[in-house]
Amino acid sequence: MIELEPHQWEMLGRYLGAGIALGMGGLGAALGMGNAAGAASNAMMRQPTQQGELRRTMLIGQAITGDASIFALVVGLFILFFPAVQPEEVGGNFFAAMTGAGIAIGFGAFGSGFGCGFAAANACAGVARNPRRAGQTTQSMIIGQAVAQSPSIFALVVALILIIRQAPGTDLATMGVCIGAGIAMGVSAIGSGMGSGQTAGGAVLGLSRWPRSYGVTLRTMLIGQAVCETPAIFGMLVAFIMMFAMQDIPEGILGFAHMLAAGIAVGFGGIGPGIGSGLTSGPACVMAATYPRRDTLILRTMLIGQAVAQSTAIYALIIALAILYVV
Amino acid sequence: MDATTMLMMMETVVTQVPQKAAAAGVTGADLVKAGALIGAGICMGFGAIGPGVGEGYAAGKACESVGRAPQEAGLLTRTMLIGQAVAESTGIYSLVIALLMLFVVGG
Repeated sequence: MIELEPHQWEMLGRYLGAGIALGMGGLGAALGMGNAAGAASNAMMRQPTQQGELRRTMLIGQAITGDASIFALVVGLFILFFPAVQPEEVGGNFFAAMTGAGIAIGFGAFGSGFGCGFAAANACAGVARNPRRAGQTTQSMIIGQAVAQSPSIFALVVALILIIRQAPGTDLATMGVCIGAGIAMGVSAIGSGMGSGQTAGGAVLGLSRWPRSYGVTLRTMLIGQAVCETPAIFGMLVAFIMMFAMQDIPEGILGFAHMLAAGIAVGFGGIGPGIGSGLTSGPACVMAATYPRRDTLILRTMLIGQAVAQSTAIYALIIALAILYVV
Repeated sequence: MDATTMLMMMETVVTQVPQKAAAAGVTGADLVKAGALIGAGICMGFGAIGPGVGEGYAAGKACESVGRAPQEAGLLTRTMLIGQAVAESTGIYSLVIALLMLFVVGG
């Protein structure tokens, strides 16, 4: 049997973690920015005289879309260069902490980047449709994108905690905590980021058509985005429970399985409800902008629909908590 | 570091984890329970994706319809809820199977 040297564990964890962080984290932002650039080209074709305004809107939108991947870059550099606390005692736990941090920020940045692209694309189309209201369209885009970044900020926090609380030695249960927390936070943030971005996209689209319903549309958007964030908050809750509130984790492979299973349940369980909530609140924002006097009715329908769409995320949370505390 | 060293390191990680586990005294029952746990996690996690997206899509269409025809709001909300209840069924299947794996098969 070949034993891994401490520095081999260290290199393995750093390379794998940074690869996942930047690979997945860059993917979402790149897709989102491409979406924005495509929409901007399309808009310039329709309104050649507004090229300057359109280029400005596109670049602002892309800059905010790229934020999530900048978080991934920062965490990737931390993973590569953050010093090990006890370099001679580095083992599997360090490897798992770095990999878990990479999974958390990599997948967490994917959703926000991809989602913010919808808002940027719709803003470019909106500026072409209504160039005189370009300022308001850009403003609503920035607000929506800022809220859609929050899942990647949750993921950033969890990833940094994982990197900082690295433990020496090799212990399957601790490795499970790191990787499970990474999956719980990172994967559940995909849905929330995409859903929030879609909501912002709907609001920008509606406002570019009906600029007068600014207040109503923005309120609908913020409420819808808040509901879209729920799966990411569940994921963060489970990640924090795993990292800080677990008293007696079973030894060995069983502990590893507990943590990994809870992470997979709440992480992947959050994708669908997040995207679904966005599919609900996006059209609701368009409708609130179109018919501002019917906003109460639209808001009620939206909240009922989103509440039902969240139910599977709640099942996933229940299963994860059952795995952590009951079984 | 050349490719052979890298490959050897990867191989070592893959073989080392089970061997260490064996040294810690892993029994077949432990492995079965671990499988049931991870199975339950995958079952609920992936099973939740479809209903979430589908119900959200239905609700989005309902919001559009309510905006266009507010006088039919009651009917539209009812239709939306029935459709979502049907779309929910696979999520409930996943929940049932996950609970079975946690408490009956693996317990």
